[in-house]
This record gives sequence, C-alpha cells and structure tokens, in this order.
Amino acid sequence: MRTPLATLPSPTRRLLITWAVLMGLTLVTMLSAQLGGDARLQALPLWSAGLLLLSTAFKAHQVLMTYLGLRDASAAWQGAFIGLVLFTLLLVASGYLLAQLGS
Amino acid sequence: MAQRQETTQQRPLPNPGWGPLSALPGNPLMWVLILSEMVVFAAFFGLFAWLRIGEREVFDASQQLLDPVAGGINTLVLLTSGLFAALAVQAIGRDDKRRCRQWLAGAFALGVVFCVVKVMEYADKLGQGLMPETNTFFTFYYLLTGFHFAHVLFGLGLIALVAWRISHDNVETAAAFWHMVDLIWILLYPIIYLLR
Repeated sequence: MRTPLATLPSPTRRLLITWAVLMGLTLVTMLSAQLGGDARLQALPLWSAGLLLLSTAFKAHQVLMTYLGLRDASAAWQGAFIGLVLFTLLLVASGYLLAQLGS
Repeated sequence: MAQRQETTQQRPLPNPGWGPLSALPGNPLMWVLILSEMVVFAAFFGLFAWLRIGEREVFDASQQLLDPVAGGINTLVLLTSGLFAALAVQAIGRDDKRRCRQWLAGAFALGVVFCVVKVMEYADKLGQGLMPETNTFFTFYYLLTGFHFAHVLFGLGLIALVAWRISHDNVETAAAFWHMVDLIWILLYPIIYLLR
C-alpha cells in the first residue's frame, strides 16, 4: 500500500521531506541548546555547541539545495555557496572556542 | 561517475548568455544579491564571534535576557513559509495561478506571524530598557535582527507584488529572495540566541 507522500510528484515529495527534516533539526537544535531551567545559565557543553553548529550547517545546506534549487546549479556554484556557509560557521566556531579557552 | 559527468555536461544551462552565472537556476541577479547578502552577514557574524572573545561574560549575561523559544518558533514559522513559497513556484510551473496565489498567501501570512513575534520581542526588550547602546551584544542583536527584519518586510512586499503581477519569473524571483531571508535566519538564530 502506497503512503500519501508516495503518491505526490517527486519535487513536491522532496520539498515536504526537506521541510520535515528542517523542522526536526530546529527542534533538535533547541533541545541541544538546553533552554529549560538552570541549564540555560550554564555554558553549553562542547558536544552540544558542536551539534548546534553542525545542524545549522546541514539546515543551511538543505535550504540552498532544495528550497533555492542550487541542486540544479554547477558543482562550482554549489561549492561556493556551501563553502561560504561553512566558512561563516567556522569563524563563529573559532570565536566560540577561543572565548571558552580564554575564560 | 563518468555517466554522471556526462549527464551534467549534457544538461542545458538554465541561463545561457549570463557568463559565469549561466549555471545558476532562476534569476541570476537574485543569486548575486543572495551571495552579497550572505557575505555581509558572514562578516557581521564573524565580528560578533570575535568581539565575544573579549566580552564573554557580557555576551552570555545579555543572551540570557533573550527569548530563545520565541526565536525557535520564528524559525519554524519562517521554514514553513519558505515551504509555501517553494510550493507556489511549483504551482506556477504547472500554470496553476490560483493555487500559486494560495501558497503565496500562506507564505505571506506566516511572514506576518514572524513579524508579530519579532515586534513583541522588541517591545519586551525595549520595555526592559535594553537598547542598542546598552552594550556590544545588544548593539549586534538590534543591528542583525533589525537588518534581517527589514529584509522580511521587503520580502513581504515582494510576495504581495508577485501575487498581483503573477508570472513564473516573478514568483521564482520573489521565492528566491524569501528563501534567502530564511537562510540568514537559520544562521542568525543559533549564533545570537543559543550559542553560549
């Protein structure tokens, strides 16, 4: 028996799956940032900060590839845009680590 | 691998005659805008992370005053709005203008929800006396979220305009702008609200 999702045209199915993944990752990001109670007053453990940045990178990748349609562009353009996102997050991660080391 | 290369080489360019931009889908000028916006925000995010090194206590204490759940809700709202914009592009691709307008209306409505949540957040912060000049963190908070907010307002105007003057190119261009707004928020939210 085919699920309702399987009956949709492939591009629509891809959009819906991407959306569900993005929503799920946003919730994971919020959970890994430990927003509840006293944990919010503490610095994030390194694994949590890492997970946060990794899921952010993956979400940005999905928006670029599927929502913006970069999947249909040349590999060079894909690399340029994904590279810029990774560079940005690398800058942020470096600053974050230096701040943690300095305290 | 060889087969994949062959397929890539045989695929016609989406925008022939645009030089290096020929290989990008949709309106090439929109990609120039997206790239330049991403570079500007990357510079601001890098500066934010750099300044945090010297003022970590101030940044962390200030971040505690933000509402990360409201920011998270706004992320979910904007992602769903982005889905609606992408579905509008698919609908106009099938020449289904009525359905396209419906998806655009949905994207617009969720964009308005984003704005309402953001305005409530600003009102709360300003009510607490937290101004852009309060400290470096809040300067960046208002600067980055305010700049993004301006893009959301512009995007809403663009969506309304293309819903009125509907065509495949118009809808695709407005949707690309809207996805860029989405993309910037995806980066902004964890950096400003969550990372501590």
